[in-house]
Amino acid sequence: MKRLLPMLMLLSILIAGCCDPLPPATFTSTSRPFPSSDFTPTPIRLVYGLTLAPSGIDPHVNASSELGIPLTSVYDTLVYLNPDTGDFVPGLAEDWDVSEDELVYTFHLREGVTFHDGTPFSAEAVRFNLERITSPDLASQKARFMLGPYERVEVMDEYTVRIHLSEPFAPLLDSLSQVYLGMASPTAVETWGSDYQLHQVGTGPFTFAEYVPQDHLLLRRNPDYAWGPEVYQHETAQVDEIEFRFFVDPATRSPALETGEVDIMGEIPPQDAARLEENDDFRIEAAPIPGVSLMFFLNTTRPPLDDAKVRQALIFATNRQAIVSTIFRDTPPVAYGPLAANTFGYEPEVQDYYAHDPARAASLLDEAGWQDSDGDGVRDKNGEPLVLDMTLMGWGYMPQVGQLLAAQWSTLGIEVNAPSPVSYSEALEIAGEGRHHLIPFNLSGSDPDILRKFFHSQASFNWSKLDDAELDNWLEAAARTSDREGREALYSQIQLRVMNEALVLPIRDYVNLNGVSDRVQGLRFDAQGWFPWLVDVTGAEVQ
Amino acid sequence: MIERPPPLPRPFLRQPATLAALTWLVLAALGAGLAPLLAPNGPLAADTSRSLLPPGPGNPLGTDLLGRSVLTRLLWGGQWTLGMGLLGLVVAVGLGLPAGLAAGYFGGRVESVTMRLVDALLAFPGLLLAMAVVAVLGPGMGSVSIAVGLAATPAYARVARSAALEIRTQPYVEAARALGGSDWHTIVRHILPNAAAPLVAFAATQLGWILLNGAALNFLGLGAPLGTPEWGAMLNEGRGYLRDAPWVSTFPGLALTLTLLAANLLGDSLQRALNTGKNPFQA
Amino acid sequence: MIARYVGRRLFQAAFVLWLAVTLAFVAMQLTPGDPAQALLAASGASKAEIAERRAQLGLDDPVLMQYAHYLWSLARADLGQSWLHGRPVGQMILEQLPATAELAVSATLVGTAAGLALGVLGALRHSTWLDTAATAVTVLGLSTPTYWSGLLAILLFSLELEWFPATGQGDLRHLLLPSLVLGFALSGSIARLVRARVLEVMEEPFVQAARARGLPARRVFLVHVLRPALPTALTIVALQFGFLLGGAVITESVFVRQGLGKLAVEAIIWRDLPVVRGVILFGALAYVLVNLAADLAQAWLNPRLREELA
Repeated sequence: MKRLLPMLMLLSILIAGCCDPLPPATFTSTSRPFPSSDFTPTPIRLVYGLTLAPSGIDPHVNASSELGIPLTSVYDTLVYLNPDTGDFVPGLAEDWDVSEDELVYTFHLREGVTFHDGTPFSAEAVRFNLERITSPDLASQKARFMLGPYERVEVMDEYTVRIHLSEPFAPLLDSLSQVYLGMASPTAVETWGSDYQLHQVGTGPFTFAEYVPQDHLLLRRNPDYAWGPEVYQHETAQVDEIEFRFFVDPATRSPALETGEVDIMGEIPPQDAARLEENDDFRIEAAPIPGVSLMFFLNTTRPPLDDAKVRQALIFATNRQAIVSTIFRDTPPVAYGPLAANTFGYEPEVQDYYAHDPARAASLLDEAGWQDSDGDGVRDKNGEPLVLDMTLMGWGYMPQVGQLLAAQWSTLGIEVNAPSPVSYSEALEIAGEGRHHLIPFNLSGSDPDILRKFFHSQASFNWSKLDDAELDNWLEAAARTSDREGREALYSQIQLRVMNEALVLPIRDYVNLNGVSDRVQGLRFDAQGWFPWLVDVTGAEVQ
Repeated sequence: MIERPPPLPRPFLRQPATLAALTWLVLAALGAGLAPLLAPNGPLAADTSRSLLPPGPGNPLGTDLLGRSVLTRLLWGGQWTLGMGLLGLVVAVGLGLPAGLAAGYFGGRVESVTMRLVDALLAFPGLLLAMAVVAVLGPGMGSVSIAVGLAATPAYARVARSAALEIRTQPYVEAARALGGSDWHTIVRHILPNAAAPLVAFAATQLGWILLNGAALNFLGLGAPLGTPEWGAMLNEGRGYLRDAPWVSTFPGLALTLTLLAANLLGDSLQRALNTGKNPFQA
Repeated sequence: MIARYVGRRLFQAAFVLWLAVTLAFVAMQLTPGDPAQALLAASGASKAEIAERRAQLGLDDPVLMQYAHYLWSLARADLGQSWLHGRPVGQMILEQLPATAELAVSATLVGTAAGLALGVLGALRHSTWLDTAATAVTVLGLSTPTYWSGLLAILLFSLELEWFPATGQGDLRHLLLPSLVLGFALSGSIARLVRARVLEVMEEPFVQAARARGLPARRVFLVHVLRPALPTALTIVALQFGFLLGGAVITESVFVRQGLGKLAVEAIIWRDLPVVRGVILFGALAYVLVNLAADLAQAWLNPRLREELA
């Protein structure tokens, strides 16, 4: 018995010593077979690290952006959005016309396209997909809403299909360029029914080989792929297999990359990014994400935030650069308005608004009648202290940002009440009922129509609790106009109005820090910023 | 004919371990109590120009991500951690003591019902039970304190029952009852003082358990409001930059360990000194 | 009769389980929040749809009926559906079970071995410096929270020395650090009780008699001291099993491993109450069964106890 302890120690040392501290390389070795006439190269595999493990990964049903990372390469879409020019280019649709009244979109489809299960792609398939997405039984969380005022789909002939809208809808093409409206095989959907998400079939450069929920997802190269859009730089995939694994805890991401467990890892925490950059074997590819920046919504219906002066004071009181430097290590740009700077329709003038000016904030608060009359360090008015309820979720560094904001504002006599972070559904409930003063959020999207989700008086995410008829009109008009300049002008007005009224406190634009091993080249992201075009990724071999 | 509880043996206080334990506990309590004097800036004052500084002149235990002094937060955090521990102990003793004493004294149906309930609660793994209570009550330091207190109650009830059982059969208790004393009188004047020894000793050990698990709940992010410098919560904050700034997690952990050590050593000493080396898990 | 003892213990165990199950039900009833809303919140359902789901889930039925329904589901091993993932809770628990079991078993091995060693060492050499040293290690094991020792272990062995991976699971290398950390914490209580028990046994007349008869010290030790002390060790390990399940929660969180702990924490953060309830009921069941087995094993092992029962 007495010898057990030293024996155990010895045993553990032996175990530790026998195992190679470096896990096996994820690539196969360079021992290629001797070149011969039927030379087959050894398969090239990559491992890609995802973050959230979404509970559902059917793009027609679920809303998470995580699912789009692998699935964008499993499905093709009718059109593609060129991230450099902002133009729409042909995808599964070679050509399209829009009627005069902008209510009918006619798509002329590509011929000779087949799904991974052999089903031919045709207008019937498009009809099937759109009807599936819009059917109430499916309870689509995102795709259905991306179609806006969709009315019905009409098959004209084998390769011509029409989408009818009840009103003009400018973001339609943008929606149709995203994986959520990707084309799935009708045969597969009908065969698998509610299990379809485990057996997905598209037309893309990779096939959906295997999926074990919460564990891993496997994609395999589609050798028959021959109809890629012009934005793809290669005709078929350059690697044979990509395995996706989940790394929910941020602390696990950088180590997984550094030990070679993965070759690509998304959402590397800012403090690890600097270290990876210094390492010759890795690099950081920063992908800025268009859409709505990380910002706090100020509840305009709940005192004291019903007073515009107080709201403006809050923004003047905030040192956003300090937040971005300290918590995000200067990896993203500071946000000055509701839209991220790389979004179509961004109005640069918002950068002139609300420079960090604590003196101005203090005088605004004084003007609004909030002064520290009892010397307790917190301003008050009519006996009520200036206390703000901050509702926070636990992810995306929101807790740290919240704490820093509270610290910055406390020097101006503003007290923040921030209980421990809540779950998403609880936050939705609180915000829906308007019980908050401040609640942060960010959402990605390439079309500025995303603003309508947050600033229209009838919107589900109207967390500033607005009821501005003029703003409503602008938002609706901008969704209806296809004229780019017209839209830009409207969105410019919208962004300036939002900042004039101090409806939100913008913090930072979202930048996805991807850690990439030196063995991987060609990683490019689409216009959404989140989704890689895996067809172009190449994996060099281990020497 | 009331027997007094045995006096505290003099060597008790002379043992080095006990002395050290008491010293630390007093220091920690003082630090927590005097925090407003020692660190008047408060635990939430951020200074982003001093983010993640290592321990050195001007910042004795280093600073965290938001530039807050770890020492300051440690001092203020003592209020939260120790306060939670005491509140939890109050709950555990407040519920467990009467239940256990009643079970041991009355026996019969009272004992059966009470002890079956206690067994049922003991079947839940302690930390999980506390977590579930927090899930029901909602987040917050109050919930955490109550939750760990509740989770600690069954063990305390067991000890109380054990003590009551033993003392109930003593001759002086029989005598007191024979003289016409009421149950209540008997329990309060006879059982309780003589049971004080094992109960106090166990309470000290329980304090350690309560602190451990309460801080665990905050480590998991289940209780404390944002920015609370509770020691378990501070440990969790530092996890994200363990490599770059290990001091942010190391010092709160050290404080917790020392406090737990002190509580356990004190409990041990008390048990030995009062000759109550009983295994609380033997019926 | 031993059969009667077994029968009585079984009945007791069943009763305790029933109480535990009922407590869980009461707790769920008392919790604020609408399950139907929690289920449907993310998909933006209307008030009517939520009300319909409430009726579907049986939430509008009288409490006693819900209780009966609940007991019946449990009897069929149906723990309900996760509000977050929509999947059966039982299945989610089974999926996470192997990882937790792996950690529990290896930590128990480490902890028991270390605890026995420390306890016996302290007892055999009691009141010497070895005893003090062993006691120091024991108390340290009891007093060091795993969430701190775990972080320190990661800092030293993973980040600095790079001997072991800091997080994850899958092979022995991932298992070693968490097992050592959790085992160390476990060894404390085992060591303390083993030491006390061994000291007790060593005072027993039959041990003194054996030594007086001139039997070799090792034989005396193994047969006459250790064997009687083993049932105690068994009981302690069984009792500590509950701690183990809770301790695994922290260890799994620190080392970012799959398992019931991770499941439970996620469920609490997201207020996924069916999963919370499922995990603690499972924990209670496991604990009751393990202790029942330990009690029965002890009765079988200990001839004196068997006689007492007869």
